[in-house]
Amino acid sequence: MKSAAVIILLFIVSSCTKGKFIQQEGNLVPNTVEQDPTLPALAVNGTVFHAETFGNPQNSILVILHGGPGSDYRYLLNCKEFASRGYFVVFFDQRGSGLSKRHNKEDFSIQLMIDDLNAVIHYYRKSPTQKLFLLGHSWGAILATAYINQFPSNINGAIFCEPGGFKWTDIEAYVKRARDIRFTSEILNDAFYLDQFITGKKDQHAILDYKLGLLAAAESSADNPTGNEALLPFWRAGAVVNKALFELGEKQQPDWTGNLKQFTPPVLFVYSERNRAYGLDHARLVSSAYKQVQLQRVDNAGHDFLSFPSGWMQFFPVALQYLNSL
Amino acid sequence: MKSIVFVAVLFSSFAVKAQTVNWASDHQSARHLASGQLAIDNALTYSIQYGYRVKSKRQTIINLEYAAPFGKTIADDFNIKTGAQFMWVKKGNLYFASEFRTVLRRFENNYTRLVNVGADISTTIGYYRKHWFVAAELGFDKAILTHFKHSKEYKEVFPAVKDGWYEPATGGILYLGLRLGYSARNITVYLKAGRKIEQDLQTQPLLPFYAQIGFVLQFKTIGSKK
Repeated sequence: MKSAAVIILLFIVSSCTKGKFIQQEGNLVPNTVEQDPTLPALAVNGTVFHAETFGNPQNSILVILHGGPGSDYRYLLNCKEFASRGYFVVFFDQRGSGLSKRHNKEDFSIQLMIDDLNAVIHYYRKSPTQKLFLLGHSWGAILATAYINQFPSNINGAIFCEPGGFKWTDIEAYVKRARDIRFTSEILNDAFYLDQFITGKKDQHAILDYKLGLLAAAESSADNPTGNEALLPFWRAGAVVNKALFELGEKQQPDWTGNLKQFTPPVLFVYSERNRAYGLDHARLVSSAYKQVQLQRVDNAGHDFLSFPSGWMQFFPVALQYLNSL
Repeated sequence: MKSIVFVAVLFSSFAVKAQTVNWASDHQSARHLASGQLAIDNALTYSIQYGYRVKSKRQTIINLEYAAPFGKTIADDFNIKTGAQFMWVKKGNLYFASEFRTVLRRFENNYTRLVNVGADISTTIGYYRKHWFVAAELGFDKAILTHFKHSKEYKEVFPAVKDGWYEPATGGILYLGLRLGYSARNITVYLKAGRKIEQDLQTQPLLPFYAQIGFVLQFKTIGSKK
């Protein structure tokens, strides 16, 4: 009995290959711009963003804002197509997200996220007359609205894709519906069962990011009300920024609609047919904060319609026509 | 979300882990213990357990448990625990017992397959009568060594991901709870519930509580003498 235990123990110990440390970036999650100097990067507002641009810098700017908080722009790369239609397309992973530099939870504020966007815009905008558009998906659309609410005259147009809401109460209601999942479903096991295998302290970013990334697999499940058809491409899930901004939202109960009536251009507001947690009523409620709204439904697609062919092929011509009209 | 809250409230209204024994029941000559449980413990789970009461000075039960969550995919996630529990001290109706178990567990989703070897150590102190008991439990479930194997989907996300055994110990969760039980004839039914916290004593797991309802059937081998 004793010898069997010793053999099992030796087997386990010998199986451990040195160098595979769970906290080590680059093992389970990719290196960020801090560790990998070959990544395209932009240093502004006291941090380093993973950022890329496509198209002629003199053209009208289209800034792409990813969701999450904590996702990254990889799943939005279809938007590169706007570059071939006369737009200068700017992608960046928001603070603490994707391949951008990590920050501790205490460093985040919603205002800082707005300031980051403002700094990125100022970096790329050559003159005040260069047209500037925002395209935000989910949380990215909320960030776009928070920015417009603060700087209503800076932007020439905006495309919002299924933002949870522009007031915390609307966001809360949407998130609750989006997480309404049967307790016996596989998706819930995939989320909760993991906790007994991996736990991470608040500063062990690589572990926390890896765990959140694994949860992203649930997004494509048939049980998920958001209606996606497949797994979403991503680089790294930013667990700390995700937690920080949700906690700030709960605490501060923000409302980013106060100055939106000062924003005069029409906005394009897009929602998907298959996202059971969204729907026309919620789209009308959320978009009503703006003066002029072009409401558009994308059929046969879910929340991440920008990433998959059926959604993208419906979205792109509508979005292009909207931008060209401004 | 509503359904989660509903089931959580339902189970937490009952007062999960080791085979719950009434140390004071009069079936101590019954060597075999079979039990079944339904629990919220890192998911909605079911489990079956077999225990064998070893001949020794102090009450000692060795056991084997299989637990798995409900879900569409069978056997992609599970937990096998084996070990022993010992009743150390009895003072009147107060009993102090401990349990040591090794754990083999598996988790799989679209991105990864994790196999972990761990340990679950717990201790209980409680007031036990012939027909009922109430006890407090404190335990630590440590994920010691974990093997990671990633799917082609995750390798599309991160091609340089490294499969293999990872160190140091990848996780640990402390739990503290209450057990209530009722015994009649050769069966004990019980409820357990408690709170969980990660080993940094700050972070809460996604399900920060556990709850279990179960039964333990004590019996002798068929044909054995009293």
